[in-house]
Amino acid sequence: MSHGTTTLAFMFQGGVIAAADTRSSCNGLVACPASQKILPVHSHLVGTTSGTSADCALWKRILARELRLYQLRHGRRLSTAGAAKLLAHMLHPFKGTELCVAATLCGWDGVRSGPSLYYVCSDGTRLQGALFSVGSGSPYAYSVLDGGVRWGLTVEEAISLAREAVYRATHRDAYSGNCVDVYHITSHGWTRRDREELREEYYREKERERVKLKERREKQEGVEDGQSSGRKK
Amino acid sequence: MALQDVSGFQDTPMSHMWNSPASLSGPMGDTTPLLDMADERILGWGRFKSSERDGGVPLRFFIPPPQSSVPFRCDNRHTSLSSLSTSSSPPTRRPFPLSHGTTTLAFVFQGGVIAAADTRASCSGLVACPSAQKILPIHSHLLVTTSGSGADCMLWERILAREIRLYQLRHGRRLSITGSAKLLSHMLHPFKGTDVCVAATLCGWDVEEVRVEEFKGKRVDRMGSGRDDSISPAKRDRCGPKLFYVCSDGTRLQGELFSVGSGSPYAYGVLDGEVRWSLNEEEAISLAREAVYRATHRDAYSGNCVDLFHITAQGYCRRDREDLREEYHRERERVLKRGKEESEEDKK
Repeated sequence: MSHGTTTLAFMFQGGVIAAADTRSSCNGLVACPASQKILPVHSHLVGTTSGTSADCALWKRILARELRLYQLRHGRRLSTAGAAKLLAHMLHPFKGTELCVAATLCGWDGVRSGPSLYYVCSDGTRLQGALFSVGSGSPYAYSVLDGGVRWGLTVEEAISLAREAVYRATHRDAYSGNCVDVYHITSHGWTRRDREELREEYYREKERERVKLKERREKQEGVEDGQSSGRKK
Repeated sequence: MALQDVSGFQDTPMSHMWNSPASLSGPMGDTTPLLDMADERILGWGRFKSSERDGGVPLRFFIPPPQSSVPFRCDNRHTSLSSLSTSSSPPTRRPFPLSHGTTTLAFVFQGGVIAAADTRASCSGLVACPSAQKILPIHSHLLVTTSGSGADCMLWERILAREIRLYQLRHGRRLSITGSAKLLSHMLHPFKGTDVCVAATLCGWDVEEVRVEEFKGKRVDRMGSGRDDSISPAKRDRCGPKLFYVCSDGTRLQGELFSVGSGSPYAYGVLDGEVRWSLNEEEAISLAREAVYRATHRDAYSGNCVDLFHITAQGYCRRDREDLREEYHRERERVLKRGKEESEEDKK
């Protein structure tokens, strides 16, 4: 798991949720604490990026250009499956080199098909699925998502699940952190939630724990006072 | 063996020669004829002998001799690593890279300590044993979860159990969990940098023994549990549930939640969100089961069944081993049923 990031995406009845952290790391240095790992390709397609950020940014732009050219030539938008195949074939000549791109393409295909999710990797992998998480923080995110993702989630539940999964991953993984970006793709296109600092979430959790610890101590002291007063009698 | 050590009873002639001052301090050349004669036997039981009876720990381990013709015995205290480094032969090659292919976890809560682990012993892609036991009891109030090389863990767990028992016989009271962790860590230290791979969490409950108590003028020996109000607050902090992580690279950490192994990130994701001090017993057990299940679901090197142990002031109790395949089928049924219900609701 060498891609130092946490990105995830899953499908549900309300569309596709894509979420990622915002930490760009470089050999132990946090190169950028506010990088953008989810890049929109067009109005109904969003790609999460993992691997080398330079490679990912370049290939996303190339993909966006090719999809736009297809749209102009053929008069209709290329499906997510087509975009995934296109990206995979474009990356293929670089297989075996140091190019490192691991992207999940999350999109909504026209009226009939609905949400769709593909994982494309520069080593040639191209997989369709309902849930993907990529990066060094992905195991932590997987366990949270595996227990919560269902088709029937509401939009709020899905968003909070995605946030929770990224938060858990950033809590344990050193190469993930800072903020979380959440994108929601529906038939009307993608919408972006405000970037949220996970430090706030961490402090909120700490506060909750402190309150509980205080309650526990008070309870224990109450029990001891009761016992000692009992002995004095 | 433990009793033999304490009583100093050594009836075999070989043990005299092995442990006599002459052989201990003499130059290596003197011992070669002895070793040539009965190499196998000495290799066999010479390993576990603790030769000093004054409470010291030194364990004479016969590190396999290099390819050169003179077999030598290493005192693992001072000279072992330096003499190994000067030998000219290369170290034995491992046939596959070692990694901790397992999921074990342990956490502390108000009702004690929960320890859980999967039961798959893997060996470079082969499931060597689908029903291994990764949580080994040492005594009634101490368990060890093992990760790393299965053979190393089994051996060191037995050595730890022996040393704790010896301590108990010599000093009349049980070694604390903190002490056991320190002991294990110091025993593993000479092997730092070698291929020994042990990552264990020691889970236990420190039962504070109050040896003497002034009670209405009488002197009474009592053994109290952690919640006794006659014990001073300082002592009370030392009692109760304890959790330590000890690793063969020298790490020794105390904590309230540990998960070790290749499946640990998956388990951490589940545990971090849910573990609290105030859990009750059923919640804690089901949380541990869930965490191991999630890890076995995603990690290839974890799987098969889940073992769960619960340690309280009264000792440990073990839950029946549970096959996770059943859990997987049950979850699929639940998801299907839920999907059906939701689609029916949508239709209405």
